Amino acid sequence: MTTLLTLTPSRRPDGVTQLTAVGEIDMSNTDALATAIETTDGPLVIDLTEVEYLDSAGLSVLFRHVDRIQLIATPLLAPVLEVSGLADLTTVHGPGGA
Amino acid sequence: MERSQDAGCEVAAATGASVFTADEEIGSDLARVDWSATPLGLPEQWPQSLRTAVSILLSSRFSMWMAWGPDLTFFCNAAYRRDTLGAKYPWALGRPAREVWAEIWDDIGPRIDTVMSTGKATWDEGLLLFLERSGYTEESYHTFSYSPLRDDRGAVVGMLCVVSEDTERVIGERRMATLRDLGSDPSVVRTEEEWLAFANQQLNANRRDLPFTLTYLLADDGSARLADSTGLVEGHPAAPVTLPGDASGVWPVTALTHGESVLVPLEDAPFAGLPAGDWPRPPSHALVLPLLQQGGSPYGFLVAGLNRYRALDDGYRGFVELVAGHLAAGIASARSYEAQQRRAEELAELDRAKTTFFSNISHEFRTPLTLIMGPVDELRSRLSGADAHVREELEVVHRNGLRLGKLVNSLLDFSRIEAGRMQARYEPTDLSLVTADLASVFRSAIDKAGLDFRIDHSELPEPVYIDRGMWEKVILNLLSNALKFTFDGSIHVSVRAVDKHAVVTVADTGIGVPAAEMPRLFERFHRIENARSRSNEGSGIGLALVKELVGLHGGTITADSTEGEGTRFTVTLPFGSAHLPPESLAPAENGRGASTADPYLQEALRWLPDEDASDARTAVTAADASGYAASPSVPARILVADDNADMREYLTRLLKGSGYQVRTVDDGLSALRTVRADTPDLVISDVMMPGLDGLGLVAALRTDPQTASVPVLLLSARAGQEASIEGLQAGADDYLVKPFAAAELLARVRANVELARLRSHQARWRKALVDSLQEAFFVCDEEGAVIEINAAFTDILGYTPDGLPYQPVHPWWPDADTDPEAHREVDEAFAQLLNNPKGFYTIPVTHRDGHRLWVTATFNQAQDPDTGRKVTVGTFRDVTAEHYAVQRESAQAALSMRLTQATSSPEALAGSLAVLKELWRAECVLAAVATAGQDIAVTATDAGLRWQDLSPERRERLSAWLDGPLLTPAEDPSGAGITVSHPKGTMVLWIDLGDHRPFTGEDQLLLSLLAGQLAQGLARAHQIDQQRETAIALQRSILGPADLPDGFAVRYEPATPPLEVGGDWYDTVRLPDGRIGIVVGDCVGRGLEAATVMGQLRSACRALLLQDSGPAQTLMALDHFAAGITGAMCTTVFCGVLDPETGNLTYSSAGHPPGILTLPDGTTVLLNDGRSVPLAVRPGRERPESTCTVPARATLLLYTDGLVERRRRPLTAGIDQAGEAVQAGRDVAVDDLATHVMSQLAPSGGFDDDVALLLYRHPAPLEVAFPAESSQLAPVRKALRSWLTQCELPPHTVQNVLVAAGEACANAIEHGHRDAPGDTVRLRAEALVDDLHLTVADTGRWRTPHPGENSHRGRGVALMRALMHQVTITSGTAGTTVDMHTRIA
Repeated sequence: MTTLLTLTPSRRPDGVTQLTAVGEIDMSNTDALATAIETTDGPLVIDLTEVEYLDSAGLSVLFRHVDRIQLIATPLLAPVLEVSGLADLTTVHGPGGA
Repeated sequence: MERSQDAGCEVAAATGASVFTADEEIGSDLARVDWSATPLGLPEQWPQSLRTAVSILLSSRFSMWMAWGPDLTFFCNAAYRRDTLGAKYPWALGRPAREVWAEIWDDIGPRIDTVMSTGKATWDEGLLLFLERSGYTEESYHTFSYSPLRDDRGAVVGMLCVVSEDTERVIGERRMATLRDLGSDPSVVRTEEEWLAFANQQLNANRRDLPFTLTYLLADDGSARLADSTGLVEGHPAAPVTLPGDASGVWPVTALTHGESVLVPLEDAPFAGLPAGDWPRPPSHALVLPLLQQGGSPYGFLVAGLNRYRALDDGYRGFVELVAGHLAAGIASARSYEAQQRRAEELAELDRAKTTFFSNISHEFRTPLTLIMGPVDELRSRLSGADAHVREELEVVHRNGLRLGKLVNSLLDFSRIEAGRMQARYEPTDLSLVTADLASVFRSAIDKAGLDFRIDHSELPEPVYIDRGMWEKVILNLLSNALKFTFDGSIHVSVRAVDKHAVVTVADTGIGVPAAEMPRLFERFHRIENARSRSNEGSGIGLALVKELVGLHGGTITADSTEGEGTRFTVTLPFGSAHLPPESLAPAENGRGASTADPYLQEALRWLPDEDASDARTAVTAADASGYAASPSVPARILVADDNADMREYLTRLLKGSGYQVRTVDDGLSALRTVRADTPDLVISDVMMPGLDGLGLVAALRTDPQTASVPVLLLSARAGQEASIEGLQAGADDYLVKPFAAAELLARVRANVELARLRSHQARWRKALVDSLQEAFFVCDEEGAVIEINAAFTDILGYTPDGLPYQPVHPWWPDADTDPEAHREVDEAFAQLLNNPKGFYTIPVTHRDGHRLWVTATFNQAQDPDTGRKVTVGTFRDVTAEHYAVQRESAQAALSMRLTQATSSPEALAGSLAVLKELWRAECVLAAVATAGQDIAVTATDAGLRWQDLSPERRERLSAWLDGPLLTPAEDPSGAGITVSHPKGTMVLWIDLGDHRPFTGEDQLLLSLLAGQLAQGLARAHQIDQQRETAIALQRSILGPADLPDGFAVRYEPATPPLEVGGDWYDTVRLPDGRIGIVVGDCVGRGLEAATVMGQLRSACRALLLQDSGPAQTLMALDHFAAGITGAMCTTVFCGVLDPETGNLTYSSAGHPPGILTLPDGTTVLLNDGRSVPLAVRPGRERPESTCTVPARATLLLYTDGLVERRRRPLTAGIDQAGEAVQAGRDVAVDDLATHVMSQLAPSGGFDDDVALLLYRHPAPLEVAFPAESSQLAPVRKALRSWLTQCELPPHTVQNVLVAAGEACANAIEHGHRDAPGDTVRLRAEALVDDLHLTVADTGRWRTPHPGENSHRGRGVALMRALMHQVTITSGTAGTTVDMHTRIA
């Protein structure tokens, strides 16, 4: 059984592709996350607002695409993103922000 | 006997006989006892303690008996049989003690009860008991101690009596006291009546040995008169005032008159109603003894009523005989004194008569003197060719005749002068020439004395009128005087004219005259006492006569003198005859020689050393063997002291002729030296002697105890009562005035020798009395030197009278170097002896052969009646046995205390060894225990000493002893050992005494007693060890091992021994709904019983909680349950139900101390609500219940009172302390916290009471185990999240923890178990107060990450380290563990 995670692609009003994740991301479902990211091209905004857990396995998927992704995340994930250095390589938006 | 000596060293179970083998004789009689008929049963079944006691008893040489069991069955040893039991042996063995000693049970029963009920030993000294052991009721005295005997469990089941019989001593002392009192102060007793009154007063004081006495004195007609009595009322038919001199009276006078003693049965009529003295019944016999007189018929007789409770043995008879002897001696002494008194009066009368005689008829001497001197002169010339002996005797007669004539003439001159009848005839002379002629007569004597003699005479202008005879006396007296007192230098005579006078001086360089004596120099009869002179002969009339004669010539005489330089006499005579009565003038006559000079010269020559003196004496003493009186049966030895050689010779001849042995000396000092060197039977001394005179001699003899009793007969020319009394007062025994008749002298000598023999009989009697004392007797002088001792002294200490005097430090003092303590004790006692008028002390002393004794001495200061000096008279007895009995008691008590206080066998053993070491002041004491299959174990007072450390010889010896018989002390040169049984095998005790001290019989006895006690004590301690271990094991097995819910920690600690286990418990119960029941309780009491009650209550409580009862309901049901269990009442219980999810706690307390809730901020809350009384106090009464919430990271502490209750401290202080301990342990896991609290609160000596403790910290730690699959990550995370919420942590902390834990778990799944998917991974999370602790453990091995590859794994570790405060990854063969901490802000 994999950890509950739903990934919903959409298009943002500015035309940028967006992937909205809901649930938790750990090593059991990073493949799904990777697949979902890889099915998109070009800049991608990943909305992690509803993600309650993100571990290093998930982060490593995000690192692979760091050049074309921007993240939306709550302060809950901020420590992980900052500690891992991901926040330095990509743009992290707060919820409701850009 | 057979005794197993196999490797097990197990003591063989005693067969019936082997118990008794320690003494063959008593043992075999004991073995014959039908023990099955006694409550003790067959010896095979006797407990070890009884067997031990019996072996100690039998092996001891000290008198002992013991009683054991409900009937106090009687045992005794050989010494007791011999000393005390007598005819009751062997009947008494195995009988109830009450039966054996029925006659004294009233006395000893209560003492035995005391020992049996209190376990305390008794001590009685010299207790009077009436025993029936010799066929009659016997007065006996015993010093004994009853001590308790304990069985294998320590209960008192019997008693041991160590006894020494004191009958001989007590009775001996009592009799001695009477004899001593009889002789106490006879000096105040003078007359017979006084003496008898005094003696009876003393006899009356001892109504035990002398219930009544009668003293009869015999009259000349053979009848007897009652002189005194004790104990009887006047007029009793047994005590008639007079008895006829035949056999018809009450008492057998006839037999007594013949000096026989008679034992009279007191059965018939006259003896009815006799007094009983100090006893319940009157005497059955009286001993009637004559009062013997030396060499005569008895003075009378003594009737002594006899103590019916003592046999009339030699001692008793001897005592009564001594009393009678003393009475007789007293009568003799009183009668002798009366006779002496009479004689002294007669002597005085005689002296008065002599004086009269002398003064009235002195002139009558002249005739016989002339008749003597005439023929003697003729004989001298006629027998000039006869043998030397005859001539010598004639010379004696001649000289003394001259002397007597001179004295008589002088006396007559006086009487003439006094009567005015002196017929002087003054003629004109050339005084110078006459004087020089007279003086030259003395030249030979003066030359012989080695003095320079000068005569200066110048021609005088006129003649001087003198009576030639008188002038001769003047000059010769002066010259004689000068020679007598001049020992070196010169004598100078000069005659010259000064004005109208002729002046004659006689000057010497002699001793001179003290200024104080000058005024009396010319007094008649005045003599200068103690002046050093050539002779003490002299009447004191010479100078007085000179003065009278010079006065008759109308002249004067003066003297000037410087003491030590010389004396000058100056005689001044006027020239011419105008001053003289004309009728006395006569014309000058020539040619009258110095006819009167001869006596003076002869006398002077006798003063001077006689070269042939000794020869002469020998010749004379050998000459006359004729007897004047009957010779004494044993030759008495007499010392004669006289400065007059003739008198010495005369006395010697006289006394030798009477069969005496005679020695002579010529002055007092030589006499004193001679007497001291070799005491004669009598000293005959002249009163007046140069140097030390007779009176001085007597005084000197009397002050020296050695010579005080030597009789002295004084001879003196001084007549008169006062002189005689002076002599007697000085201590002389008799006084004889010269001249005396030979017969009178011999009669006096004989009387005095006999009196002295009577006195020495008294002295011998006194010595016999002192020697018969069982106690040692001694007399010390003022400096503490021992100057007299008796036979018992020698017996006890080994020092004989030969060594007297013993100067302090006395040789029996313990050595100051090797035994300073004992030496100091004796030193203190000695100071007491010297400084106190009386007292007593007990001290250690050393026998001459070196062994140690203890003596108790009593002493009194007294005045020596002979010398008047202070002496100390003391007695002592050997109390060594008593001392050791007391030492035994205290040693046993000390050992008993050590054994009782000890909480384990090793402690008991170590403590006991210390007691033994101290007792014997040993270098070291060790115990070697041999247990089957194990090495020999050593316990020693030297800590850390091991078997291997001992020398091979020592090991060998100890090993040999291990196989030896039990409880039999053995010795080797450096110490002593004993083998005893030990719970684990056999043990040898070895006492290393060093090489300086012997191990005595007393020591051996004590060692076997103590060893027996120790063996029992060890067995008991071993049993207690086992019981205690059992109880603790039981308690712990009831309590645990607990299947404790998470978050709980519990402890149980038994109290410090000997209180040990109690009834405290804790319990946790998992309830079906997930809640947890919590119980902490405390039953009253201790030991197995309390543990049993606790077990029942615990089970009941658990069952009730499982039925879903609330705490209050549970306790109410428990009230009823407890009411039915003995010992359950008053149990206190805290009962609660906890919801581990919420921390919600419902609780009720049955009188239990409040729970303590410590909040994360450090504040404490007491769970004081829901309280009511302890269990079963009010069954049926409603119990309250309360609730509270245990907040996250708060700690709940439940406990029993042993944790917080301390003496002299309020309970709240303990509760505060517990709260602080919990607070201090905020950073440790709950189980460590429990340890921490217990150690923090434990008193230094351990807990006094047992303690149960229960801790809960909320929430309980999270423990999750899951298979190593990634799909498990989400559920694990969910559980962790939920637990973290319970911990009430801030959200970001929760998230950090979640991520860190997630990374660790992911690693475990990915790497730890990549080869074995599905293996278990464990996660544990525990919240401390300020800290959170996480552990993730797998059983695999992490792959070393390659750089570049799997970079996200490295990233995971980095995340963990970033999110947590501390991360430790430990990887090993058993797996990998990640430990993480984060602080909770």
